[in-house]
Amino acid sequence: MGRYLSIPILSLAAALSASIMPQMIEFAAAVLGSFTPILENTRGQISLVLLVVMTWSVRSSLTDSFVWAFVGGIAMDLLSILPLGASSFALVLIVFAVHIVSHQLYQVRIVSILVMTVLSTFFLQFFTWQILVLLGNSYDIPALIRLVLMPTIVYNLAATLPVYSFVRWMQKRLEGRLQSVPSTLTQEAGARTSL
Amino acid sequence: MRSDGRPSRFLFLALMLGLCGGLMLLAIAGVLTPAESIAAAPLHGVSGALNRLSLTLNRAFEELNSLGQLRERIAVLEEQLASRQIELIQLREAASDYDRLVGLLSYTTALENQEFLTADVIAFDPSGIARSVIINRGSRDGVAVGMPVVTDLGLVGRIVRVSANAAQVQLINDENSSVSARLQTTRAEGSIIGQASGVLRMTFIDLDENITQGDLVITSGLGGNFPPDIVVGQVTSIRQFEFELFQEAEVRSLIDFDILEFVLVITSFQPIDISVFDQSEGS
Repeated sequence: MGRYLSIPILSLAAALSASIMPQMIEFAAAVLGSFTPILENTRGQISLVLLVVMTWSVRSSLTDSFVWAFVGGIAMDLLSILPLGASSFALVLIVFAVHIVSHQLYQVRIVSILVMTVLSTFFLQFFTWQILVLLGNSYDIPALIRLVLMPTIVYNLAATLPVYSFVRWMQKRLEGRLQSVPSTLTQEAGARTSL
Repeated sequence: MRSDGRPSRFLFLALMLGLCGGLMLLAIAGVLTPAESIAAAPLHGVSGALNRLSLTLNRAFEELNSLGQLRERIAVLEEQLASRQIELIQLREAASDYDRLVGLLSYTTALENQEFLTADVIAFDPSGIARSVIINRGSRDGVAVGMPVVTDLGLVGRIVRVSANAAQVQLINDENSSVSARLQTTRAEGSIIGQASGVLRMTFIDLDENITQGDLVITSGLGGNFPPDIVVGQVTSIRQFEFELFQEAEVRSLIDFDILEFVLVITSFQPIDISVFDQSEGS
C-alpha cells in the first residue's frame, strides 16, 4: 500500500516544489533576509521530495524506501532540466545511507534526522551540480554554495520537522490499517508462512 | 546472496543504481523523450494549476497591501497623463510620417514579421541550480528547440527541450545562457551572461565605448540565436579596469523571473547554426 501511495504523494510534492514553493521561498527570503543576511537575494529551494523520501525511509523497509526514492526522483526529473533517472540515482544512495544509519541507532532522535537532512541536501545538490557539469554546463562554485546550497540547507532544516510529522502520521495510519485486516486473512497468511 | 537465500542489500542497491543509471543514459540519448512527454503531462497539469493559484494569491496579497499607495499614485499619474497628451499628438504625427517613409523604402522591421505564440508558465526548475521554466506549449503547437521566448518587457530566454505539450525555457539569467547584445545608444556590442546571483552581466564591451547607467540593452542578432532589437534590460553599473581588455556592465532585466506568468514564443524565428563556419576554419 505504501509503495502505491508514493506516486500521488511524491508527484504532488514535486509539483509543489516547482510551483508554490518558489513563491513561498521568495516571500520567506524577503521576510527573513532582514534578520539573516545569508538568505537575502538567494535562490535556495525546499527539496520537498527529498525530505519526504528521506523521512519515509527512516522507519520503512529498504524495498519500500527504494521504491519511494525511485518514484520521487522520476517526479523531480520530469520537472527539471536533469535527465530522467539522475535524481533517482542520488535519492537511492541517500535512502540506503539513511536506512543503514537509522537501523544502527537504538532510537532515531530529531537531532539525527536534522543531521541526515543537512548531509542529504548537500549530497543531492552536489550530485545535481555534477550531472549538470557532465552535460556541459559550468557554474561558479563559491556563488552556488552561498546562493543555492546554504539557503537550501536552511529551508530544508526548517521544513524537516513538519514533513517528518506528516510522514509519521501517514505511516502510523497505514500500520493501523494493516493491523485491522480481518483475522481470517491473518490466519491464512500465517498458514502460508508455516508451509 | 545471503545464506538465507535472500539477495543482500548491497546487491539490491547495485540493481537500483544500475536501473537509474540505465534510465539516465537512455534519457540523455533521447530514447525516452516520448515516454517522458506522456509521464510529465499530468505533472505539468498539476504544477500549472498550483502555479496559477499561487500567483493569484500572491497578486491579491500585493494588491491589498498597496491599495493606499495606488490611490496616491493614480492622482500623480493622472496629472502626468494630461501633460503627455500634447506630446502624444506630436508623436502620432511623427509615426505617420515614419510609416509613409517606410512604405516608400519597402522596409519592414524584423518585429513586424514575427509570429508569437502565447504560453503559460506552469513550473519553475526545482533544483535551484539551473534557471529554467516549463511552459504549456510544445511541439504540437509548433514550438521547437532554439526558439526565443519574450514578454512585453523583453527577452526571457530560449527553448531548450520540447515535449508534445510542454517546453523547457532556459532563462537568460541562467549561468549557462549567453546572448549577443548591444547598447541601444552607442551600438556597442557585447555578450549578456547570467550570473549565479540572478543578475545579468554584459561582457566583452570595447574599452573605448562610453557606457552610462540607464542605457538600454537590446539583442544584436549576432550569432543567429536571437532576433535583433529585443529589449534585454538596463545598465545599472559599469566595471572598468585598466589592466583588462574589455569592460563589463551589470544589466537589470525589466522582467521579474520569479513571478513569470505568461510568455510569448517567437515561432517564426529559426536559429541559425553558424558552427559549420568554425569547423571549416579549423580544418
